[in-house]
Amino acid sequence: MSLDKEKQSAAPPDQSFWQGRLTVGNNGVAAAPRHVKNAEGYRSYEIYQRQRVRQSTEKLKPSDLISDEYRSDPYPILATLRENYPCYRDWLGNAYWVTRYDDVTSIFTDDANFETRSKLWTYGLLGFGRDLRFELPVLAAQAQRMDAGAEAIARRIVSDVASSGTADLALDVAARFAIELLGHQLNLPADDLGAFANLYWRAQRGATWEPKAQADGKQAVQALADLVRPLLEARRSDPGEDVISAIATLDLEGGPATAEDVATTVLEADHETLHGALANMWFLLLTHPDQLARVADETRLLKYAYYETLRHSPPILSAKRFARHEVERFGQLLPEGALLICSAAAANRDPGIFEDPDAFRIDRKDVCQREPRGQYRADGLASGIAFGLGPPSKFPALPEERPRSLYALTRDTAVTASRVLLEELQDLKPADGAAPALQSLRVGDMHTCWHLPVVFGKR
Amino acid sequence: MSSGNAITAAIANVLELDTNGRDVEKSSSSAIPLMPIGEAADMGRSPDGTPLFDPRVFDSYEFARNPYPYYKILRDHYPVYHDTLHNCYWVTRYDDITTCYFDDEGFNTIPKGSSSGVLGNTQLELSGIEHKRRRNLYGQHLVGQALKNRLPSIERLAREMIDAWEAADEDWYVKNEDGTRTVELGKAFANEFPIRVVCEVLGFPQEARGQFYYWYNSMMSGLGGSDTHRQGLEARQDLEDYLEPIVRERRKQPTFLYGDDGKSIGKDIISKLCEEKIDGDYLSTEEITSNVALIVGGGGETTRGAIMNMWYLLLQHPEQFAQVMADEALWDNAFHETLRHSTPIGGQPRHNTYDVELHGVTIPAGSLVQMVDFSANHDDRIFENPEDFDIHRADLYSGKILRSGFRKEGRCSHMAFGVGPHLCPGAWISHQEAVLGSMVLAKHFKNPRINVERMKKDIDGKSLVPIGLISVRDLWIDFEVV
Repeated sequence: MSLDKEKQSAAPPDQSFWQGRLTVGNNGVAAAPRHVKNAEGYRSYEIYQRQRVRQSTEKLKPSDLISDEYRSDPYPILATLRENYPCYRDWLGNAYWVTRYDDVTSIFTDDANFETRSKLWTYGLLGFGRDLRFELPVLAAQAQRMDAGAEAIARRIVSDVASSGTADLALDVAARFAIELLGHQLNLPADDLGAFANLYWRAQRGATWEPKAQADGKQAVQALADLVRPLLEARRSDPGEDVISAIATLDLEGGPATAEDVATTVLEADHETLHGALANMWFLLLTHPDQLARVADETRLLKYAYYETLRHSPPILSAKRFARHEVERFGQLLPEGALLICSAAAANRDPGIFEDPDAFRIDRKDVCQREPRGQYRADGLASGIAFGLGPPSKFPALPEERPRSLYALTRDTAVTASRVLLEELQDLKPADGAAPALQSLRVGDMHTCWHLPVVFGKR
Repeated sequence: MSSGNAITAAIANVLELDTNGRDVEKSSSSAIPLMPIGEAADMGRSPDGTPLFDPRVFDSYEFARNPYPYYKILRDHYPVYHDTLHNCYWVTRYDDITTCYFDDEGFNTIPKGSSSGVLGNTQLELSGIEHKRRRNLYGQHLVGQALKNRLPSIERLAREMIDAWEAADEDWYVKNEDGTRTVELGKAFANEFPIRVVCEVLGFPQEARGQFYYWYNSMMSGLGGSDTHRQGLEARQDLEDYLEPIVRERRKQPTFLYGDDGKSIGKDIISKLCEEKIDGDYLSTEEITSNVALIVGGGGETTRGAIMNMWYLLLQHPEQFAQVMADEALWDNAFHETLRHSTPIGGQPRHNTYDVELHGVTIPAGSLVQMVDFSANHDDRIFENPEDFDIHRADLYSGKILRSGFRKEGRCSHMAFGVGPHLCPGAWISHQEAVLGSMVLAKHFKNPRINVERMKKDIDGKSLVPIGLISVRDLWIDFEVV
């Protein structure tokens, strides 16, 4: 019985008609005329709130959210959630799924009520080391090294693959570029990079529910600290311009930085997003040849291709937030400690925000062409969500005084690498018989293209 | 360049990528292989040799049929297991669980919507003083003298059902050519018997039974997270609509139950609920419906499971069954040992009110903490050889069920009804239902045995399927008519 129907009836309904009835408006609020307020069966708004966890789940099974289908193509499942269950109570995973754009962004920007938890927390290693990502000297060194190193590294990698005539853009270029750039930021010796890549990925993959990976990851985090220890000690007295030197010379309250702090700092940042974004971007460009032709023609469009990639196929599908205390959101009472899975993938395909959201179009007019910085609607346009906002910035709002955001740095390096790729290689095409696809290797992992074999001609 | 190859190789190695980069991980369903009963699948070991525990186990079929070796790993190595896949903490040792059950303040049951509107707001979801005030709303009518008064009618209901078998033309009752009979105990008796008892004590007209059975089924299968949730909600609404005029009537004119001798043995529970006051005010119809829904939900499935599991286990241990037949007093032991060995309800969720540290694990306030009664009942710190079914068990307390639990002289109570403030209020009546019903059945059966051909088989295709986490659904029994 909808409210509209009530309004249409001319005569006011009599007492017996209302007896024991409860009307729920379109906004989900229980409403009843005054004369039945004290009638039998009337429930106060508060009682109703507590009861209206009443979502049916007939359109979706909770196990769909951890299914193989979700790992390969989560979008149809997420669309069902977004259209039917905007705050879906996932009993299997004991979480709430938030899938509409406005809802997801409202959680990301609500640091008073929702918190992030670190990877060390997932490992159960709280206190292992300090996360120094947001120290100004670290940010400055990071920006400087990324800007300075990106082009040279990209040229080296592309010339390596160019000599062979075929390449796997996902593994040989995207994955390697991300690791080499990270190695450059830390200024690791070239011989250590293979070992570092191994430890780094093991550490990143261990921050999850899977017990084998977690046990392995814990060892890797420790080994990572052991790997950087001699470098850190050497650079205390003889600092360079890299991130380890910046950390070594920090003046911290709790004493000078340790190798564990460096390992923690490396672990907590999502450097692999660069890998995912680059691989997804090239996957989308190669599967949309018309769009690829446009960026090949005019490389300044790469930036927009990057934004559109992060909107269309973000490598990190969702971000977790925990309720700091009992709080009501989206018509539900979220208990203290509740886990919210804020689905960037679902929000980015919200048809109420983006027109024809499933299409990959680099000339989109309804997406904001800069990084979200504390808000998602700069310039009045919605940003694609690829990174949840971390803790609120402690730096001043004035652009000249604050460090460049890591989001912008990542974008610029991804664009640089892609530009180099287009400059050095021509007629990029997927290799014959290749059927590249996006997939998460495990539930909750990065959703990206893991193999992208291509053929090309050398310029 | 060699460093580039080294990086690519390292990444591919860690990610275990195959040549097409797909389907590396096995799907969740096949991740846990089916094992012989009593053995856990290998889930890997940490560097110090501790066995690892894969949380996908909880979703697997293997776990439903063979849970106890996995619970043993948890008890021995992870007494508080933080499950990051399901975002909760599993507590598995007897001592820890009883401690938490008694700590009503630290581990509350405040609504997190587990019954999701199907049962409504009941004392399942209340804690502390709020819970205490409501605890005895109907609980007091299911114990002591009130219960004793009802025993004859419970027995009569059982007799009525069993006497109707011979005339029934149903597929669950087969008259064999050699004069023996084959009956499916679930459909013929155990599914409906507890519902009939509930109808009786609530004071519902017997005609409403069929409808009641439907509501009960819908509400039980429609609890939160199930595919049939909507059906559960509709059933709840139906029940509310049905109850409303009845409650209105009984507020004015209470109705009474009568014993077999025609004498009144007191008001039915709905009439009693209509008189109850909480905080000086009468219960609303909605509250009464919730309580009725809870009685219907709590009183059905659990007792059904207890009866079915008890017969299943006894018939698989013929020497113990013969002893029970020889001495009716042993039915109590059989009942309690069944609930220890294979309880129909496997645990209770709790939420901790503040940060708790238990066995070195910090559980942040507000976490979902799963208390596993299944595991407590098989804790070898308490019960010797917990996997054995033995009605003469020296370490199991089989006396009157106590809210405080029992732990003296080397004997402990089982956890099937929980313990402490949230102890199942229907514990005593369900005990009587199962024992009285079984006594009546036993008189009716001569030489009962399981009809193995008609039973569901385990993975080997031969042996009977173990009970595991799921109570016996169908139980085919051959017997000769007395």
